[in-house]
Amino acid sequence: MAEENVTFTLPDLGEGLVEATVLEWQVAVGDRVERNAPLVEVETTKSAVVIPSPKEGRIVELHAAEDEVVAVGAPLVTFAVAADAPQAGIVGRVPTEEARPARRVRLRPPAD
Amino acid sequence: MTANLAGDVTMRYVDLRPEEPGEAVPVLLLHGFGTTFDMNWRATGWTQALADAGRRVLGPDLRGHGATDKPTDSGSYLPERFVADLVSMLDELGADRVDAVGYSMGARLAWELALRHPARVRSLVLGGFGPRDAFAGTDLSDPGSGDTPFDHVFRTVAALPGNDPAALAACARGQAARPFSADPPPVGAPVLLAAGARDTLAAGAEDLASHCGGTYVEIPGRDHANAVSSRAFKRSVVEFLGERAPARGPGTAPPVG
Repeated sequence: MAEENVTFTLPDLGEGLVEATVLEWQVAVGDRVERNAPLVEVETTKSAVVIPSPKEGRIVELHAAEDEVVAVGAPLVTFAVAADAPQAGIVGRVPTEEARPARRVRLRPPAD
Repeated sequence: MTANLAGDVTMRYVDLRPEEPGEAVPVLLLHGFGTTFDMNWRATGWTQALADAGRRVLGPDLRGHGATDKPTDSGSYLPERFVADLVSMLDELGADRVDAVGYSMGARLAWELALRHPARVRSLVLGGFGPRDAFAGTDLSDPGSGDTPFDHVFRTVAALPGNDPAALAACARGQAARPFSADPPPVGAPVLLAAGARDTLAAGAEDLASHCGGTYVEIPGRDHANAVSSRAFKRSVVEFLGERAPARGPGTAPPVG
């Protein structure tokens, strides 16, 4: 099957953050990963997060070593993906989270 | 009839059920000071890791945090108030027992839950937590103004969007009003402690583990802020909780082959 390489850049992690430090890769070159599988653990000045894989494919290159600082928008990882896989709107974005089953409950102090 | 309605809070929580349930007892996740369920557990990959293990996950935004109400009096933040919230939530959900997993302040609250309601907690996991006074040397009339480890934590979280520094200061005072004591330890629930090797706020975690007959896992190279997302930490907890689960719980298909 024909493949093409697609490079995923470090997404905007919000709150005006401009860079993040790679803590630990959860994949290695040659691995096949599913979409949304854990890709890389990074840390900003605010928090540590795990970035999920934006696509299904084979890892071709990791662009940053562990402990390296990566700027938002800089290359993070290159995938080989099936050439006929849909690409629209995927490159450089973290997948939108599905709707969260959140509920609110009113709590009262115990009656005793 | 209810009394003291002025003292109530509206609490946001999540109940995440896995596609393929493997275990009837849910995992209760309790976030740390100044964060939220999503920041502490979802963004760090915990909800995914537990879903992959077939676990149902429950977790609140604790009072004073996230989308839950944020009172500004310290009396609202005594540990027993948090525990009452948790018990109400578990009752509402019909969850008789949980595996309680907390990080930092959430660990202290998981301990309190196990201590006060031993029948509700099957296993106890304390992350980023030690027996020392987390507020030592901090001027709690103005947290964040000094240079203690807690002052640093306070300044970081007080600046996060959605946080109310007045509510967080009240929360710190409420927690400090009931200093942690390792005695008596909770009974009946096996305990796992896990902390980053460089986590100064969790100093003494290994001693606390031996004190309560538990297990200690050190996360190499990590500090208080970045141990929480560690893959090694998640793996240790999933394995520890799995050891307590029956091999074939209700709702689990018998092994094939």
